[in-house]
Amino acid sequence: MNTQNDQFRVENLYLSFSTRRGTVQAVEDVTFTMNRGQTMVLVGESGCGKTSLGRAILRLLPRNVQDYRGKVFLNSQDIMKLSREKFRREIRWKKIAMVPQAAMNSLNPVIKVSEQVIEPLIKRGTGRERRKAMEKAREVFQLVGVPQDFLERYPFELSGGMRQRVILAMALITNPDLVILDEPTSALDLLTQANIMNVLKRIKQERGFTFILITHDIATSSELADLAGIMYAGQLVEFSRAYNLFREPFHPYSRKLMASVPSLQEKKELEYLPGQPPSLLEPPQTCRFLDRCPDSFERCEQEPPVIEVKEGHQVKCWLYK
Amino acid sequence: MPQEYPPQEELQEEATEERTPKGESDLWRLLRYSLLRLGALFIAVVVGVYLMILIANMGGYVDEIRRAEIAFNVAQQVRGSPEFAELPEERRREIMDSMVETEEKRLGLHEPFYLRSIYYLRDALTLDLGRSENLTSDAGSRQVRHIILERLPPTLFLFLTAQIITFFAGLFIALALSRQYGSKLDKFMVALAPTSAAPSWFYGIFLILIFAALLGWLPFGRMVAAPPPDDTLMYAMSVIRHLILPVTAIVLGALFLTIYQWRTYFLIYSSEDYVEMARAKGLSGRQIERRYILRPTLPPIITSFLLGIITVWMGQIVLETVFTWPGLGRLLFQAIGLYDTPVIIGVIVIFAFLLAITVFLLDFIYAIVDPRVKVGGEGGQAA
Repeated sequence: MNTQNDQFRVENLYLSFSTRRGTVQAVEDVTFTMNRGQTMVLVGESGCGKTSLGRAILRLLPRNVQDYRGKVFLNSQDIMKLSREKFRREIRWKKIAMVPQAAMNSLNPVIKVSEQVIEPLIKRGTGRERRKAMEKAREVFQLVGVPQDFLERYPFELSGGMRQRVILAMALITNPDLVILDEPTSALDLLTQANIMNVLKRIKQERGFTFILITHDIATSSELADLAGIMYAGQLVEFSRAYNLFREPFHPYSRKLMASVPSLQEKKELEYLPGQPPSLLEPPQTCRFLDRCPDSFERCEQEPPVIEVKEGHQVKCWLYK
Repeated sequence: MPQEYPPQEELQEEATEERTPKGESDLWRLLRYSLLRLGALFIAVVVGVYLMILIANMGGYVDEIRRAEIAFNVAQQVRGSPEFAELPEERRREIMDSMVETEEKRLGLHEPFYLRSIYYLRDALTLDLGRSENLTSDAGSRQVRHIILERLPPTLFLFLTAQIITFFAGLFIALALSRQYGSKLDKFMVALAPTSAAPSWFYGIFLILIFAALLGWLPFGRMVAAPPPDDTLMYAMSVIRHLILPVTAIVLGALFLTIYQWRTYFLIYSSEDYVEMARAKGLSGRQIERRYILRPTLPPIITSFLLGIITVWMGQIVLETVFTWPGLGRLLFQAIGLYDTPVIIGVIVIFAFLLAITVFLLDFIYAIVDPRVKVGGEGGQAA
């Protein structure tokens, strides 16, 4: 499959872990494409493999990985083919950066913020290279709204929201082609969440960064999204333009999910979804959503294919065959 | 669906939270911390030494014993001496009383115990340790201070050599093991951890048996061959040869438990989020290990090292005796054998000081490696 230069494309990505109780299929056959400057929102319940997908892209894997395959194209280069060392040197943070879930603890407590922020830019920490890196650090701090004198502080001297911004600044400092934001606001209070989201929105508009935003907060992320993906039990069950997906979801799970989101514009009865997702431990070979699906029929006993219902709108459901 | 947020997110809402003024530099923080620690340790030493004085004097009861002793001696003297034999009973009593009084005054026993305990404390803290009863220094002095000062360098030499080796060997082996957690070597080292239950002198006896008695490779004990070589280089070589066994004994006695403990710290700290983050940042393995695992783990490691050192100081008393090492421990052992109280007390006071100095030094290092250490509890939160 050929991809254009400005694209980020994930193709048939699998990731599974071996545990004492069996194989955990965290990411299964995920495929999507996005263009530079777009933001994709990845939504789903806890434990549905969102984070694993994000980490799989950056090859941040635990020791018990069993199966890890697929293709990840960045600017028409399959980065899955790179050697470990090459991937570390060329891709990590240079091309793909990440803001992890636990941003509060993602800063080394005994090293000054500035050191940690400029680290990806410098090989040896002296001289001109360092001064240039500091200059850049000041610039990104400005961009994410952190006072510049915070550079000389230690992480414990920063509040949670500030730490989150510092990490964001750290992710932006190398001007990466893609930034994966893994629930960047989940540990923060509502106001700070709103602040961070606004910062993201502004950065996206001003600088045209490409984001993958992993979240379960559909309402907040909808403003930022160009593309949206819904994950369920390790699979990407629906993927399309965000506007379409939020307005008119196809997959029964997506429909239920959207119906459960409160909205300011209209009065509506909130719905909820009974039951819980299947265990990712040795998942069934049926449609994963079978047990909870209101529209299930016989064919759902088989694994559904990915169906393109509209231009660029994929759904993994038998209903649309 | 889109929600409206308050406009202008750049209100710097968090900026006010930070109360620590940035004007406080690291150096100043360190200095203030050190001074306060020094003060606290000094108080601890004073309390410790004073407690020792109280205990050694049995809370003043020793004075009673000494008084009785004086009275008894005087009575013996007067009764046994023919020059008092002619005197009437009353006159003799008077003479005895005045003699007792003079003797008590000479020894300072006429003053109440609490006052004298303060004098003792003052003398101890100013290292005015008095004269020994039996022991002399090699130079022939009977000043306890001279005796102790003569024995201090060998003790420090042995102790520091062994501790430095333990610290760095422990650190690197533990780090290497944490890297290959679960491997055969790792399991083997963990299984060895209980060997540290035996004190260092226990290993010392075995080392002497094997390497001195059986194989004859290394000397049995002492710090230098007798007679000591004249040549400086030969002298140093001789000291090193004599150093090997006691240092090995100390290291053996502490190393495996240390490794086990620190390996666990490394494992805990290498699963921290910031280590994962460093990995995501594409830093090299060495960089991650040095800055993101070793650095943050140093504070707890220093604490555990500190706690271990206290035991090592204790063990050294017996170890020096086993190896006839001419240090403080051996001196204490000799002094106890000879009931030389001033020397015993002097050595204990010196040990209190040594312990305090060790604690202070490690506290100081702790403050350097961990910026969160602050005095007064302002700003910093224990993370």
